[in-house]
Amino acid sequence: MRRSLLLLIAAAALAGCAATPVQPWQRGRLARWDMRWDPDPLRAATDAHTYFSKEGTTGAIGAAGGGCGCN
Amino acid sequence: MTRIALTLALLFAATASAVEPGAPAPGFHLPTFDSGPPVSLADFRGKVVLVDFWASWCSPCRQSLPLYGKLRDNYAAADFAIIAIGLDEDVADGKAFLAEHPIAYTTLQNPQGDIAKAFDLKGMPSSYLVDRDGIVRARHVGFTPADIDVLKKEIDGLVAKHAP
Repeated sequence: MRRSLLLLIAAAALAGCAATPVQPWQRGRLARWDMRWDPDPLRAATDAHTYFSKEGTTGAIGAAGGGCGCN
Repeated sequence: MTRIALTLALLFAATASAVEPGAPAPGFHLPTFDSGPPVSLADFRGKVVLVDFWASWCSPCRQSLPLYGKLRDNYAAADFAIIAIGLDEDVADGKAFLAEHPIAYTTLQNPQGDIAKAFDLKGMPSSYLVDRDGIVRARHVGFTPADIDVLKKEIDGLVAKHAP
Protein backbone atom coordinates (compact mmCIF):
# COMPACT_ATOMS: atom_id res chain seq x y z
CA MET A 1 0.00 0.00 0.00
CA ARG A 2 2.77 2.34 1.03
CA ARG A 3 4.70 1.47 -2.12
CA SER A 4 1.66 2.17 -4.29
CA LEU A 5 1.21 5.53 -2.60
CA LEU A 6 4.85 6.41 -3.19
CA LEU A 7 4.51 5.39 -6.83
CA LEU A 8 1.44 7.60 -7.22
CA ILE A 9 3.20 10.58 -5.65
CA ALA A 10 6.20 10.03 -7.94
CA ALA A 11 3.90 9.87 -10.99
CA ALA A 12 2.09 13.06 -9.93
CA ALA A 13 5.45 14.79 -9.48
CA LEU A 14 6.50 13.69 -12.98
CA ALA A 15 3.29 15.08 -14.47
CA GLY A 16 4.02 18.32 -12.64
CA CYS A 17 7.36 18.57 -14.45
CA ALA A 18 5.59 18.06 -17.78
CA ALA A 19 3.50 21.18 -17.17
CA THR A 20 6.50 23.41 -16.37
CA PRO A 21 7.95 24.31 -19.82
CA VAL A 22 7.22 27.78 -21.16
CA GLN A 23 4.50 27.45 -23.81
CA PRO A 24 5.09 28.77 -27.35
CA TRP A 25 2.71 31.70 -26.81
CA GLN A 26 4.45 32.69 -23.56
CA ARG A 27 7.78 33.48 -25.18
CA GLY A 28 7.26 37.20 -25.70
CA ARG A 29 9.82 38.14 -23.06
CA LEU A 30 12.34 35.62 -24.37
CA ALA A 31 12.00 37.18 -27.83
CA ARG A 32 12.89 40.65 -26.55
CA TRP A 33 15.96 42.31 -28.03
CA ASP A 34 17.72 42.46 -24.67
CA MET A 35 17.16 38.72 -24.10
CA ARG A 36 19.22 37.76 -27.12
CA TRP A 37 22.50 36.02 -26.66
CA ASP A 38 24.05 38.54 -29.09
CA PRO A 39 21.99 41.76 -29.08
CA ASP A 40 23.98 43.18 -32.02
CA PRO A 41 23.81 40.70 -34.96
CA LEU A 42 26.39 42.60 -37.06
CA ARG A 43 28.91 42.67 -34.22
CA ALA A 44 28.25 38.99 -33.51
CA ALA A 45 28.75 38.07 -37.18
CA THR A 46 32.04 39.99 -37.32
CA ASP A 47 33.27 38.38 -34.10
CA ALA A 48 32.26 34.94 -35.37
CA HIS A 49 34.06 35.53 -38.67
CA THR A 50 37.25 36.46 -36.83
CA TYR A 51 36.89 33.45 -34.55
CA PHE A 52 36.30 31.03 -37.43
CA SER A 53 39.29 32.42 -39.33
CA LYS A 54 41.57 32.03 -36.32
CA GLU A 55 40.36 28.60 -35.27
CA GLY A 56 39.33 27.08 -38.61
CA THR A 57 36.00 26.03 -37.06
CA THR A 58 33.20 27.43 -39.21
CA GLY A 59 29.85 27.06 -37.45
CA ALA A 60 31.43 25.82 -34.26
CA ILE A 61 29.80 28.39 -32.02
CA GLY A 62 26.28 27.32 -32.94
CA ALA A 63 23.46 28.44 -35.20
CA ALA A 64 21.80 31.84 -35.26
CA GLY A 65 18.42 32.57 -33.68
CA GLY A 66 16.65 34.19 -30.76
CA GLY A 67 14.89 32.58 -27.85
CA CYS A 68 11.31 32.74 -29.08
CA GLY A 69 11.42 29.34 -30.80
CA CYS A 70 9.69 30.75 -33.87
CA ASN A 71 9.98 28.31 -36.74
CA MET B 1 -1.56 -2.83 -10.02
CA THR B 2 -4.30 -2.16 -12.60
CA ARG B 3 -5.41 0.82 -10.53
CA ILE B 4 -1.89 2.26 -10.57
CA ALA B 5 -1.58 1.70 -14.31
CA LEU B 6 -4.92 3.46 -14.89
CA THR B 7 -3.92 6.42 -12.73
CA LEU B 8 -0.64 6.74 -14.61
CA ALA B 9 -2.44 6.59 -17.96
CA LEU B 10 -4.85 9.32 -16.84
CA LEU B 11 -2.04 11.54 -15.59
CA PHE B 12 -0.16 11.36 -18.85
CA ALA B 13 -3.26 11.57 -21.04
CA ALA B 14 -3.93 14.99 -19.50
CA THR B 15 -0.69 16.34 -20.99
CA ALA B 16 -1.44 15.27 -24.61
CA SER B 17 -4.46 17.17 -25.94
CA ALA B 18 -3.29 18.69 -29.25
CA VAL B 19 -6.07 19.57 -31.69
CA GLU B 20 -5.39 17.28 -34.64
CA PRO B 21 -7.05 17.30 -38.08
CA GLY B 22 -10.40 15.53 -37.83
CA ALA B 23 -11.15 16.93 -34.35
CA PRO B 24 -13.73 19.66 -33.72
CA ALA B 25 -12.14 23.11 -33.35
CA PRO B 26 -12.37 24.37 -29.76
CA GLY B 27 -14.90 27.20 -29.55
CA PHE B 28 -14.00 30.72 -28.42
CA HIS B 29 -15.62 34.05 -27.71
CA LEU B 30 -13.00 36.79 -27.70
CA PRO B 31 -12.80 40.60 -27.80
CA THR B 32 -11.50 42.31 -30.92
CA PHE B 33 -8.56 44.70 -30.99
CA ASP B 34 -10.73 47.57 -32.18
CA SER B 35 -13.20 47.50 -29.24
CA GLY B 36 -15.94 46.03 -31.43
CA PRO B 37 -18.32 43.35 -30.09
CA PRO B 38 -16.70 40.01 -29.12
CA VAL B 39 -16.52 37.39 -31.85
CA SER B 40 -17.12 33.62 -31.63
CA LEU B 41 -15.90 30.87 -33.90
CA ALA B 42 -19.54 29.72 -34.04
CA ASP B 43 -20.42 33.00 -35.83
CA PHE B 44 -18.49 31.64 -38.83
CA ARG B 45 -20.24 28.26 -39.07
CA GLY B 46 -20.89 27.47 -42.72
CA LYS B 47 -17.64 29.08 -43.89
CA VAL B 48 -14.16 27.66 -44.22
CA VAL B 49 -12.13 29.48 -41.54
CA LEU B 50 -8.41 29.91 -41.05
CA VAL B 51 -7.77 30.41 -37.33
CA ASP B 52 -4.30 31.91 -36.98
CA PHE B 53 -2.43 32.49 -33.73
CA TRP B 54 0.12 35.31 -33.82
CA ALA B 55 2.06 37.68 -31.59
CA SER B 56 3.84 40.95 -32.32
CA TRP B 57 7.16 39.53 -31.07
CA CYS B 58 7.10 36.57 -33.48
CA SER B 59 8.83 37.50 -36.72
CA PRO B 60 7.29 34.78 -38.95
CA CYS B 61 3.87 36.02 -37.74
CA ARG B 62 4.70 39.52 -38.94
CA GLN B 63 5.41 38.00 -42.34
CA SER B 64 2.30 35.82 -42.44
CA LEU B 65 -0.43 38.32 -41.50
CA PRO B 66 -0.24 40.54 -44.62
CA LEU B 67 0.08 37.46 -46.88
CA TYR B 68 -3.07 35.97 -45.33
CA GLY B 69 -4.84 39.20 -46.27
CA LYS B 70 -3.92 38.64 -49.92
CA LEU B 71 -4.96 34.99 -49.67
CA ARG B 72 -8.40 36.01 -48.38
CA ASP B 73 -8.94 38.25 -51.41
CA ASN B 74 -9.12 35.09 -53.58
CA TYR B 75 -12.40 33.96 -52.02
CA ALA B 76 -15.96 35.17 -51.57
CA ALA B 77 -16.77 36.37 -48.04
CA ALA B 78 -19.49 33.69 -47.81
CA ASP B 79 -16.94 30.92 -48.42
CA PHE B 80 -13.83 31.81 -46.49
CA ALA B 81 -12.83 33.90 -43.48
CA ILE B 82 -9.70 34.47 -41.44
CA ILE B 83 -9.65 34.91 -37.67
CA ALA B 84 -6.28 36.08 -36.35
CA ILE B 85 -5.91 35.67 -32.59
CA GLY B 86 -3.22 37.89 -31.03
CA LEU B 87 -1.48 36.31 -28.04
CA ASP B 88 0.61 39.25 -26.79
CA GLU B 89 0.48 39.23 -22.99
CA ASP B 90 0.46 43.02 -23.17
CA VAL B 91 -2.45 43.91 -25.48
CA ALA B 92 -0.83 47.31 -26.17
CA ASP B 93 1.98 45.51 -28.06
CA GLY B 94 -0.57 43.83 -30.34
CA LYS B 95 -2.42 47.09 -30.86
CA ALA B 96 0.80 48.93 -31.74
CA PHE B 97 1.64 46.23 -34.28
CA LEU B 98 -1.82 46.43 -35.88
CA ALA B 99 -1.59 50.24 -36.03
CA GLU B 100 1.68 49.85 -37.93
CA HIS B 101 0.46 46.98 -40.14
CA PRO B 102 -3.33 47.29 -40.52
CA ILE B 103 -5.16 44.02 -41.15
CA ALA B 104 -8.56 43.93 -42.87
CA TYR B 105 -9.78 40.61 -41.45
CA THR B 106 -11.02 39.71 -37.96
CA THR B 107 -8.34 40.14 -35.31
CA LEU B 108 -9.08 39.04 -31.75
CA GLN B 109 -7.07 39.31 -28.56
CA ASN B 110 -6.35 36.53 -26.09
CA PRO B 111 -3.67 37.82 -23.69
CA GLN B 112 -4.45 35.06 -21.16
CA GLY B 113 -3.60 32.45 -23.80
CA ASP B 114 -6.39 30.12 -22.69
CA ILE B 115 -7.57 29.59 -26.27
CA ALA B 116 -3.98 28.87 -27.37
CA LYS B 117 -3.92 26.30 -24.58
CA ALA B 118 -7.24 24.82 -25.74
CA PHE B 119 -5.72 24.35 -29.20
CA ASP B 120 -2.47 23.19 -27.54
CA LEU B 121 -0.18 25.16 -29.87
CA LYS B 122 3.16 23.54 -30.62
CA GLY B 123 4.85 26.65 -31.99
CA MET B 124 4.36 30.24 -33.14
CA PRO B 125 2.71 31.03 -35.44
CA SER B 126 0.18 28.19 -35.65
CA SER B 127 -2.83 28.09 -37.92
CA TYR B 128 -5.78 25.74 -38.15
CA LEU B 129 -7.97 25.33 -41.19
CA VAL B 130 -11.53 24.67 -40.06
CA ASP B 131 -14.16 23.39 -42.48
CA ARG B 132 -17.76 24.58 -42.81
CA ASP B 133 -18.85 22.16 -40.07
CA GLY B 134 -16.31 23.36 -37.51
CA ILE B 135 -13.92 20.43 -37.93
CA VAL B 136 -10.16 21.07 -38.10
CA ARG B 137 -8.89 19.82 -41.47
CA ALA B 138 -5.28 21.03 -41.45
CA ARG B 139 -2.77 22.36 -38.98
CA HIS B 140 0.33 24.43 -39.77
CA VAL B 141 3.10 25.25 -37.33
CA GLY B 142 5.58 28.00 -38.27
CA PHE B 143 5.37 30.01 -41.45
CA THR B 144 7.27 30.55 -44.70
CA PRO B 145 5.80 32.37 -47.73
CA ALA B 146 5.72 29.01 -49.61
CA ASP B 147 3.06 27.85 -47.11
CA ILE B 148 0.54 30.16 -48.81
CA ASP B 149 0.40 27.88 -51.88
CA VAL B 150 -0.18 24.81 -49.70
CA LEU B 151 -2.90 26.64 -47.77
CA LYS B 152 -4.56 27.81 -50.99
CA LYS B 153 -4.81 24.23 -52.26
CA GLU B 154 -6.30 23.10 -48.95
CA ILE B 155 -8.79 25.99 -48.87
CA ASP B 156 -9.79 25.39 -52.51
CA GLY B 157 -10.53 21.76 -51.66
CA LEU B 158 -12.62 22.64 -48.59
CA VAL B 159 -14.52 25.47 -50.27
CA ALA B 160 -15.46 23.20 -53.19
CA LYS B 161 -16.24 20.18 -51.01
CA HIS B 162 -19.25 21.47 -49.14
CA ALA B 163 -20.46 24.40 -51.26
CA PRO B 164 -23.69 25.71 -49.66
